[in-house]
Amino acid sequence: MKTYKYLFLLLISLSIIGCSDLEEEPVGILAPEGFFSSMADVQAAVDGSLTHAINEKIWGRKLSIALMLRSDMVSLASNETRRVEMEELTTLASNGMLSEFWPRIYQGIAAANLAISGAESVSAEESIKNPVVAQAYFTRAFYYFHLVRLFGDIPYIDGPFTEADLTIGKTPVAEVYEKIIADLEFAETWLPETTASAAIPSKGAATSYLALVYLTRAGTSNTADFQKAYDYATQVINSGMYALDSNYQNLFNANVIDASPEPIFALDYNNVEAEDNAYDQTAPMTGIRGDDRNDGGGWSVAVPSLEVYTTWDAGDYRRAVSLDDEANINGTYVNYTQFDISGHQFAKNVPYIAKYMRYPGPYARINARATSHNYSMIRYAEVLLIAAEAAVELGNNAAALDYINQVRARARMGGAYKTGADIEKTFPASPVPANLTGTVTINDVLEERRLELAFECKRWYDIVRRQIGDQAYGPNGLEGNKEFFTADDYLLPLPEDELERNPNLLPQNPGY
Amino acid sequence: MNLKTQCIALALLFFNVALFAQTGYNITGHVADAQNVPIAGANILIKGSSTGTSTDFDGNFELEVKSGDVLQISYLGYVTHTVTITDQNPVKITLVEDASQLEEVVVVGYGTRKKSDITGSVASVKSEELTAYPTSNAEQALQGRAAGVVVQSNNGGEPGAPINIKIRGNTSINASSNPLIVVDGFVGAAMPQANDIASMEVLKDASATAIYGSRGSNGVILVTTKTGKSGRLNIEFNSSYAIQNTANEIDLLNADEFANYQNDIRANTGNTSPYTQGSGNTNWQDLIYRSGNTQNYQLAFSGGSEKIKFYASTNYFGQDGIVINSDFEKLTFLSNIDAQVFDNLKLGMNLYGSRDEKNGAATQSDGSVSAGGDDVITLAMRYAPDQPVYDEDGSYNSGNSVGDPVDNPYAVATERIDENKTDDFRANLFADWDIIESLSFRTTFGFSTQNRTRGIFSPSTLEVTAGGIDGRASVQNNKNTQVLSENYLTYSTTIGKGDFTLMGGYSYQKSVSEYYYMEATGFLSDTFSYYGFGSATNILQPDSTISEVEIQSQFGRLNYDWDDKYLFTATVRRDGASNFAENHKYAIFPSGAIGWKISNENFLKDSNTISNLKLRASYGVTGNPSIGAYESLARIEGIYASSNGETVSAVTPDRPGNPDLKWESSYQTNFGLDFGLLSNRINMSFDYYNINTEDLILINNALPEYAGYLDDEILTNVGEINNRGFEFALNTINISNENFTWSTDFNIAFNRNEVVSLVGGLDYFGNAAPSYFSHDRSYVLREGEAVGLFWGYDYAGVYQGGNVPAGTATLPGGVAGDPLFADLDDSGDITEADRTTIGDPNPDFTWGFTNNFTLGNFDMNIFFQGSQGNEIFNMTNVQLTNGDANTTRDNYYSAWTPTNTDTNTPRVGNNSNREISSRFVEDGSYVRLKNIAIGYTFASDVLDNIGIERLRLAISAQNLLTWTDYSGLDPEVNYFGSEGNNNFSSNTAQGFDFGNYPTVRTVTFSLNLKF
Repeated sequence: MKTYKYLFLLLISLSIIGCSDLEEEPVGILAPEGFFSSMADVQAAVDGSLTHAINEKIWGRKLSIALMLRSDMVSLASNETRRVEMEELTTLASNGMLSEFWPRIYQGIAAANLAISGAESVSAEESIKNPVVAQAYFTRAFYYFHLVRLFGDIPYIDGPFTEADLTIGKTPVAEVYEKIIADLEFAETWLPETTASAAIPSKGAATSYLALVYLTRAGTSNTADFQKAYDYATQVINSGMYALDSNYQNLFNANVIDASPEPIFALDYNNVEAEDNAYDQTAPMTGIRGDDRNDGGGWSVAVPSLEVYTTWDAGDYRRAVSLDDEANINGTYVNYTQFDISGHQFAKNVPYIAKYMRYPGPYARINARATSHNYSMIRYAEVLLIAAEAAVELGNNAAALDYINQVRARARMGGAYKTGADIEKTFPASPVPANLTGTVTINDVLEERRLELAFECKRWYDIVRRQIGDQAYGPNGLEGNKEFFTADDYLLPLPEDELERNPNLLPQNPGY
Repeated sequence: MNLKTQCIALALLFFNVALFAQTGYNITGHVADAQNVPIAGANILIKGSSTGTSTDFDGNFELEVKSGDVLQISYLGYVTHTVTITDQNPVKITLVEDASQLEEVVVVGYGTRKKSDITGSVASVKSEELTAYPTSNAEQALQGRAAGVVVQSNNGGEPGAPINIKIRGNTSINASSNPLIVVDGFVGAAMPQANDIASMEVLKDASATAIYGSRGSNGVILVTTKTGKSGRLNIEFNSSYAIQNTANEIDLLNADEFANYQNDIRANTGNTSPYTQGSGNTNWQDLIYRSGNTQNYQLAFSGGSEKIKFYASTNYFGQDGIVINSDFEKLTFLSNIDAQVFDNLKLGMNLYGSRDEKNGAATQSDGSVSAGGDDVITLAMRYAPDQPVYDEDGSYNSGNSVGDPVDNPYAVATERIDENKTDDFRANLFADWDIIESLSFRTTFGFSTQNRTRGIFSPSTLEVTAGGIDGRASVQNNKNTQVLSENYLTYSTTIGKGDFTLMGGYSYQKSVSEYYYMEATGFLSDTFSYYGFGSATNILQPDSTISEVEIQSQFGRLNYDWDDKYLFTATVRRDGASNFAENHKYAIFPSGAIGWKISNENFLKDSNTISNLKLRASYGVTGNPSIGAYESLARIEGIYASSNGETVSAVTPDRPGNPDLKWESSYQTNFGLDFGLLSNRINMSFDYYNINTEDLILINNALPEYAGYLDDEILTNVGEINNRGFEFALNTINISNENFTWSTDFNIAFNRNEVVSLVGGLDYFGNAAPSYFSHDRSYVLREGEAVGLFWGYDYAGVYQGGNVPAGTATLPGGVAGDPLFADLDDSGDITEADRTTIGDPNPDFTWGFTNNFTLGNFDMNIFFQGSQGNEIFNMTNVQLTNGDANTTRDNYYSAWTPTNTDTNTPRVGNNSNREISSRFVEDGSYVRLKNIAIGYTFASDVLDNIGIERLRLAISAQNLLTWTDYSGLDPEVNYFGSEGNNNFSSNTAQGFDFGNYPTVRTVTFSLNLKF
């Protein structure tokens, strides 16, 4: 009997393990409370905010390609519905690209808000705290600036998300701009003049964005805003911190871009196939099918119409840099009239966008995905053109001539580049584009922006801001008559399901 | 272990032999049962003395007796027999089974009940049914065997594919709907092999499952494994070998036809350059399919003395799938041993271990073309047939000539490595202590662990997938361990005509899950497979997590039975779980049931016709706790970011906290009627049930995206779903005589489910399309409708040009030959507003029908199984009509052309793009001859001479015939789309077909040998 009693006691004792309070004590999981104890933690939230922008859902593809397709500079070689809707300006509120970049942009904003509120629980001097927090203000402004241009009135959140935010209504455009400007002003005050990389917000980035924000808000007539845009742009120009790169090609060469004096704020990709698609696929989206470069070439999706090429002076070095008009396809050298030898259904016999496939630098995925590109969000040439445009509006023709001609002069310098067929060439100094003389018009500046900033996702915003859709999408437009275009298309619809979740966001933008 | 047990048994035998040292004369005797099978270990006692012996392994005994002695021969489960010694020698004794113990005993949670005393809804599945044909997983063998239990492979005939079981419908949306599996009392155990299972009970209603509380709402499957019987050593050897083939292939275009097809598309889309036809003419389907086989061997030993019993078994299952390079192997061992240490104490141990290795071919791609170049099944349909397997330089042809660049299906099937290795181990110790006669105590202490590693490698020879990056490898490891301790007391007593059984206990369970992941590209050599991480030049961000869940519970049950007429059962369980949120750590799950054995009432007692009539009713609450650990806590998430070229630590808001997150609750009512006629030769069971599941754990789709949380699956307890239906089971013994028997089992279940309420009343859209389909909505959950209705445009035929028929419209730019859709909002355009529900994947009923015959030594089993009224969305055909893939002859030659206008198929190259419309909805009903088997058992007199107890040979065929109108490869489909197979998709994405591994047709030869 004795033996089994012991055995029995053993079993009992084994069975009585654990009388738990059932509290969870997770390991490796971060709770927002108590996370922020130093400025390094705040910086982590700032970096979290910035990284959303490089995601495939924003600049990695979805937003960048949407902006390209909506413009008159890039057409579509695909029958994917969500892309067709962007290209044809028949976008539905359920569009599959829209539904991707809308939440991502707000995630970027939420992370910026997290950084700003997190900093409150860190005890540090303003002088230590504010330069870090200012990055979050800059980033938040960067995201809201995209949103307000894309959607108009939007839900505006600038703190930790609360129950009350579930039912908020839309904040009007004017108010959103006030908040963007306030954020950028704070950023301008506290950001350092120089940062280790153009991808880290600097004072000049904030100033340049203020110039662009005022120029945008000015629309076609707000003189006070044009004056502000001019002032901020010239402040950047006169700071001497930035300059035009002597070789236009360098701006799109991932191997040398870090040394360029021209980028002011950029999204920096680092050849990392990061989790959650935090990398770019823009290059193959614009590339030629069957192209021998970049391990498999491109996917031929975002492709300019032939008119973009034929209307561009062949003497303009920027055309040679911006477009690939020859390629090696499956081992055969061809010019663009034979790009369809790849046999692909959507292969087009037109020159393709060259800015991203030519020098992607090291990339982590074939087809030049996850590249080393730095995509300039704003660069010195644009600041010059902002100054020029504002000067035209303000009647300062001399300044306008000066700034626009600086940009044209750089283009005339030519430089070393290589063609789509991977042939190293040097584009000789060129008389084209000649300096403008006489009275600079708004149209001159817009045309200069269209070419100088071709395929850099600026054109759609220019069309909206200047309300030139009738012209851009009319019968004489680069893509021919776009029959579905109406002024309602200047704004995208808010995602349908977002309106279902919060009916206070109604009404939907007109036309949807 | 086995050897030791045998030694003990032998020692006992010698001990017995040493007993006869008395006076008188020796007799010898033999004890056997009615079938003349010797009974070993039977007790022989001279009445009125302490002298006795027991029989040896052959049923023989020897004893010194005096004439006139009365021998008392007893053996558990048999009527004790007495014989007076006169002059017979040897004595031959036949023991008769005790009828009172004959009645079937059914295992219920924490106990057993006589089948006739069951008040809940419980289906028993017999061992012979589970082993009627070889399966890699005993869960598969449940298909069609029990009313209301729907069993489906996650991926057709894929070797080692996971099995989905649903009892009485989808009782959840976002939590698992799979039943709780309890093996020999171990909650949440891995399923043992069918050959080792003695019985399987499916607990369906709340009265039966509420004892499992927060884990009971999906039903419970109780598995009892085989144990040894006292007596001589049994050795059993079972083997089977099966040949498998794909039931059919899709009739695709050949190279020339394909070139014509592509040129027609180009002509229709204004593309003037002709298609460049490739040099090959490849039937990709022929290349990736082959004849497969399965092998299954089991070797089992069992036996024991009266005090110690053991069962030990090892199983090997091997399968070469019908897609090249897909195979599966599983090796298991199982051993049960128990020892009656003292009269009132039994100790025992169950051990189970298994290893399986699944070497998979990519199928059911989620559509991320880049991840694996898509799956081989759809690639075989999409890759251009005019392309050769190899290019002139000897490398694989890749890129495809139409559509997105992909690797060719043969290359993917041959080169891509995808291995799953799973080790399971479980040990459970138990002690049964009869404290006093009516009070017993059982304690168990168990441990289980599962270790699963999945390695994937795409070598650089797969140009599109991994060409430029010198190979891509990933390794994922999941390790789960569980500790379970349960203790409960059972007290039985009789007061007057009332029998009480009271049970109460305590349980504690802790599970720890660890997860590790790494991925890299850039390997020195393709030969490294996924073992060369050291040589990788580009390591992707690795990941690791750990989570811990504790559950502690108290539970109890009262059974009261008055006069064998009125039955009453009440159970309650209180569960506390760490994964429940702060405000809801504990929950109580009660149930009650009543039964009335009408046939025991005086007015029916003597009926010759009605042998059993019982009414049952039950009501109870059960739960579904499928909230992951830490799911209710607010969190921020670390994400990738870089600064100045360096990867840096970064965080972003992930989700808000939800201190109210808790289990789902199912309120279930059940009414049942059991009916037996003609001495129970005809047995029927009807059940009606109604299950309301409330507090559904749903993704909070009312949380706006502008909240900016990274996690797009934030959970909340809102919503309600209802399942109700009838189940009917019939088994009859139609003919039973010495030479011929015929019995029939039939079951049928009608389940209706309805989404009662959702978060904010909002429709809930799901996407079961691969990611390169641009639609992100293909099915809907809508209040008042069944779960998972297909969602899309309502197809209205082909546009013939001219005026568009009233109420219809084309997509933008439609011309003659393009598809027409119902223009529901009369806007003149087809927009989002024109999408509607276009089909219902839920069957009206599912059924199984089995007939068993024996004729002399032959036996025969015919098993039909089917599903009626469910619809299938043929996503494969969507891809096959999109132009950037091959297509079927039927699609191509029936397509609209200016000269072939009387057709329902739009022109090739039409303006739809992988549309989700009712054009692709098909009737998915089917009737399937699941199994037909003929066996021959050799006569025992022949075998006795060669020392074999039983020898049976059988040939059988599975899935031999299928009757269906479905045009795809197989009507048993299960595809989950770009979001993959998670709880949500397995509950709601039903009836989608895309890249499924086809169900296979099998011919099996099997051998059953017992010594």
